[in-house]
Amino acid sequence: MAQVSEQEANLKAAFIYNFTKYIDWGNYNDRNEFVIDVLGDTTIANSLEQIAKEETINNKPIVVHVLENPSQAVDCDILFISKNCHFTLDKILPLVGKGVLTVSEQPGYARQGTAFNFIIVNNKLKFEANLKAISSAGLKAGSQLLKLARIIE
Amino acid sequence: MFNLRDISIKNKLILMQVFTSLLVLSIVFGVFIFTDINSYKQRKVESMISLAQVIGTNSISTLQFDDPDAAMEMLQDLHNVSPEIIRATIFNNKGEIFAQYSKPGLDSFRIKDVLKQRKFLFSGDELFVSSAITNNNEVIGKVYLDVELSELQQTKAYKLELAAVLLIIALLFSFLVALGVQTYISRRLLKLVSTMKNVSETGDYAEPLGDDGKDEIAILIQVFNKLMQQIKENQQKKDEFIGIASHELKTPLTTIKGYIEMLNMMEQEPTKKQFVEKAMLNVNKLERLIRDLLDVSKIQSGQLRLEMKEFNMNELLTETVNAVQMVSAPRIIREDKLKNEIIYGDRQRIEQVLLNLLSNAVKYSPGENKVIIDSEKTDKDLLIKIRDFGIGVTKDEQMHIFERFYRSKDTSVHFSGFGLGLYICRDIITRHCGKIWVEKADPGSIFIFSLPLKHSFKTQQTEA
Repeated sequence: MAQVSEQEANLKAAFIYNFTKYIDWGNYNDRNEFVIDVLGDTTIANSLEQIAKEETINNKPIVVHVLENPSQAVDCDILFISKNCHFTLDKILPLVGKGVLTVSEQPGYARQGTAFNFIIVNNKLKFEANLKAISSAGLKAGSQLLKLARIIE
Repeated sequence: MFNLRDISIKNKLILMQVFTSLLVLSIVFGVFIFTDINSYKQRKVESMISLAQVIGTNSISTLQFDDPDAAMEMLQDLHNVSPEIIRATIFNNKGEIFAQYSKPGLDSFRIKDVLKQRKFLFSGDELFVSSAITNNNEVIGKVYLDVELSELQQTKAYKLELAAVLLIIALLFSFLVALGVQTYISRRLLKLVSTMKNVSETGDYAEPLGDDGKDEIAILIQVFNKLMQQIKENQQKKDEFIGIASHELKTPLTTIKGYIEMLNMMEQEPTKKQFVEKAMLNVNKLERLIRDLLDVSKIQSGQLRLEMKEFNMNELLTETVNAVQMVSAPRIIREDKLKNEIIYGDRQRIEQVLLNLLSNAVKYSPGENKVIIDSEKTDKDLLIKIRDFGIGVTKDEQMHIFERFYRSKDTSVHFSGFGLGLYICRDIITRHCGKIWVEKADPGSIFIFSLPLKHSFKTQQTEA
């Protein structure tokens, strides 16, 4: 079970990394590094660390933080809300500022306001996209990405 | 086999021009079609490679997010965008098939195996292209397309058809032009050839050929004219010489003959008389030869005049036969059925013909051989036939025997004379509107001449 979840975490980390290629942060991303905050799960944080060792995003080094509390998620570009996060979404989202891409992995989360939400369809990893959440975060998502997503209104 | 030499100049010229046109046009059309099809292929390759690139770019995200269904959907759209693409495959960076499409009714097919490392390949009437899918300089997959080139086959067939039609039309034009142009060269040559043939057959050189060109044909014609002029002059000189010579020879001969005749009358001593008689015989022979030469000279210069009057052919024949019989060994047998047929002509000249033919027949029938005279009468003509049993006349000789200075090529027979007798005979008979010819008999030959009977002579003369 741990192995499966590690494989899944790797895939999700790769997806998150690939998301960044189609997301335009505009002027919000003005730090010298690309910060990914993870709420809850450390497995995916490890997977992201692996990527961070080899890749950059927008020519910036990737930094991964594991947060205990959503209030810490201030200076980041992506906030990943894992399944085993203790906080409910309505506690988290109001704390998230502009220029932060929220990614979750709980059924229905996209409808509740995260920008992207991983789902499993036919044993395959897919994702939902909430266009309103993306635009209200001040971000732009590329059509190549959105055509693969299940769009949530 | 077909031999180029056997074709006339006219056809050679036409053939040459048509062949040249064919060659040039074939090369031009060939190059034209080749480059056209090549550039069509080039364009096709370029457009298909860019299409593959577009497909590749569009499928980057599907590869990144491992969504083959989306990729498949995109490939399915090809059916509407570009129906000539019959198969399309996207491979991921591990070389596994990620998404695949083939036109309904076609099996899927591993283009990758055919194409290997090449970017494009033409195989039959299909084109295979490939394009790598790159993202940030990293190859993440590959697109392969299989394009049906039905259009190319159509274009090819159409171009070939067009070229064939144009070629036929062009060849037709070239033929017509050649037909028109060749006359400029061939007409003059053909005219020269026909004139030369005419001259060699008749020996009659009437007018110099006119030609105002300055090329080789013109030179040929000029040289021919010059040659003919020289021949004409030489002939004239020769005729003049014969005329003068025979005249000059005749005068002293007449004197010699007179004296010898007197000597013959005076001489009583047998040995001497025999000598004189021999001399006289030869003087007569010489006189005959000179008379022949004079006749020929007269014929050539057109001075021979006939004294036309009516005479009895039977009487003339009897006289002549008697005269020849007196001096010749072979028996002359008359088998003719002449009954006082009246001929309107020059009695003396006809006698000359008869004498000539009979003495020839006697001359060529030595020993105990006989000479048979026969006759035939038609409505208009009287035919006299003189048959000998000598060596005969070959077919080849029959053609020339009546020509001037003709002598038998057969060296086994050698008889003296100039070869003028039969020429004079023909001239006399022709002037009487008759004909003279020789037929082969076995053995010997038959000399036949025809003369118009008195009642038909006038009408024939006016017809002639």
